[in-house]
Amino acid sequence: MIEKNIVGQSVPKVDAFGKVTGQTRYAADLDIAGALHLKVLRSKVAHGLVKKIDTSRALKIPGVTAVFTHADIPGSNSYGIIVKDQPVLTNKVRFKGDAIALVAAEEESIAVKALDAIAVEIEELPPLFDIQAAMAAGAPAIHDNGNVLTVTKIKRGNVEAALDQAAAVVSRRYTTQRVEHGYIETEAGIAYMENDMLIIKAGTQNPHYDRRDAARVLGLPINKVRVIQTATGGGFGGKLDISVQCFLGLAALKLGRPVKIVYDRQESFVATAKRHPFIVDYTSVAAADGRLLAVKARIFGDTGAYASYGPATLTRAAVHATGPYEVPNVDLEAFCVYTNNSFSGAMRGFGTPQIAFVFESQMDLLARELKMSPLEIRRRNVLRPGSITATGQELTSSVGIAKTLEAAWARALEVMPGLGGDCR
Amino acid sequence: MAAFHLEMKVNGELVAVDIDPGMRLLDVLREVLHLTGTKEGCGEGECGACSVILDGELVDSCLVMAPQAYGKEVVTIEGVAALGQLHPLQEAFIEAGAVQCGFCTPGMILAAKVLLDHNPNPDRQEIARAISGNLCRCTGYSKIIKAVEIAASRIKAEAGAASD
Repeated sequence: MIEKNIVGQSVPKVDAFGKVTGQTRYAADLDIAGALHLKVLRSKVAHGLVKKIDTSRALKIPGVTAVFTHADIPGSNSYGIIVKDQPVLTNKVRFKGDAIALVAAEEESIAVKALDAIAVEIEELPPLFDIQAAMAAGAPAIHDNGNVLTVTKIKRGNVEAALDQAAAVVSRRYTTQRVEHGYIETEAGIAYMENDMLIIKAGTQNPHYDRRDAARVLGLPINKVRVIQTATGGGFGGKLDISVQCFLGLAALKLGRPVKIVYDRQESFVATAKRHPFIVDYTSVAAADGRLLAVKARIFGDTGAYASYGPATLTRAAVHATGPYEVPNVDLEAFCVYTNNSFSGAMRGFGTPQIAFVFESQMDLLARELKMSPLEIRRRNVLRPGSITATGQELTSSVGIAKTLEAAWARALEVMPGLGGDCR
Repeated sequence: MAAFHLEMKVNGELVAVDIDPGMRLLDVLREVLHLTGTKEGCGEGECGACSVILDGELVDSCLVMAPQAYGKEVVTIEGVAALGQLHPLQEAFIEAGAVQCGFCTPGMILAAKVLLDHNPNPDRQEIARAISGNLCRCTGYSKIIKAVEIAASRIKAEAGAASD
């Protein structure tokens, strides 16, 4: 019988037994008889046009079954979770690591050898490695529609008027870095044909989206593709994007043989999404009592070569730009910008951790400016039931920040007696 | 390349295989013996996902050439549970919620086993040091340390009961 009252009880994790005994099969653990091994030829330059790909020498190596390029994609050579801007195999290189060719061979070591035997001619374009360079007038366009992918604007009240009543104004520029998720399992998978049905098994966080994009690039109706998620060794947002799925599908479909691919750690670092690096120009305006009057922010996110979750990440950053604080006047703009860096996507928090670093730093600086404690300035500004957020939502219930703040402070005093002294 | 005749003991069983001498112990375990509980996370000795016990010591099997295991005794995660009975560490990992994605779990349990085999009464710092070569990206380690503490106290209680 199914236990009805699970909430509030400690129950063993459903798949823990297989994991502590080593029985759980992750994608790289799957064996399939007669499988060909796949390897991806990746660009060594960051920006350029692929002029010629000569696979003839690679194809002569015994054990090499096939080499695929952009010319072999049967459907639309573009995928992506929000914007379909990423090719499976590209004829325009947009970052160092872009996929150019796919080798299928009887042994993994033969596939590796074949990569070196493929000759690629690239006409290099000036690479754009930072946001300012990519947004500059006359910068070469990384994608056809230019380098600014999306702009999110949130405006409320009148920031300029608030500045006139300000007792304190703090303006700073903040930068945050690119972060790799570092899940311990690298990307891997197998694929095979079952009659006319393509089966892809891979470590992923997004099997339904994988299926849609695999069908799209392979020119198959969606009901001819199955994507089966294998036990997945960590993702943290980094396995929401397509990684190995389309390579597997392409080779299995074209060759009619089972195929397998496993990224090594270096390829996992080079070829998959990162957390967006941000540049944020942020101005906080406060009255003498510490109450926030206004916030103005310009947020720039480096989404690298492809959109991935960039538009959502920058929208989230704008929506959360005022943090858990009530701000009557806001002027927020967030720009999602293409560069020739490795692409940025989802990673725990979708742009919120970056912007939290900014608005919390600002609160500390404002407190210092007003000779007020960092705790007190937060007390006076936190959202409460009845508060209206920057996006105009009236909060009616379940606003826990004020209580959390006091509880955290009480706990801090417990573990660090004397903390803060008179400055509370 | 001439094949190398490798003889070793794996999880208590004598194994004799002819292999390419360039293979890593990790490759022999996973690809020849199909013991896929041992994972490859980085291939350069940083993450510990491929940890196995070699003659009583914890090693990264990606840094051990297979011929180096000649005549030695290897224990992998598949050899930790005895006769269908989970090892106290395996039970404690389940109980304490120390397993999330599970990819580091085999190496983590083996690292903890080597610790408890040498030191049945470790403090938290000693546990932390013992698993310092094994990366986990999900748990934040605290539940793993808790699991090792639970297992240590249970093993001690069992040993006490047995000697009474």
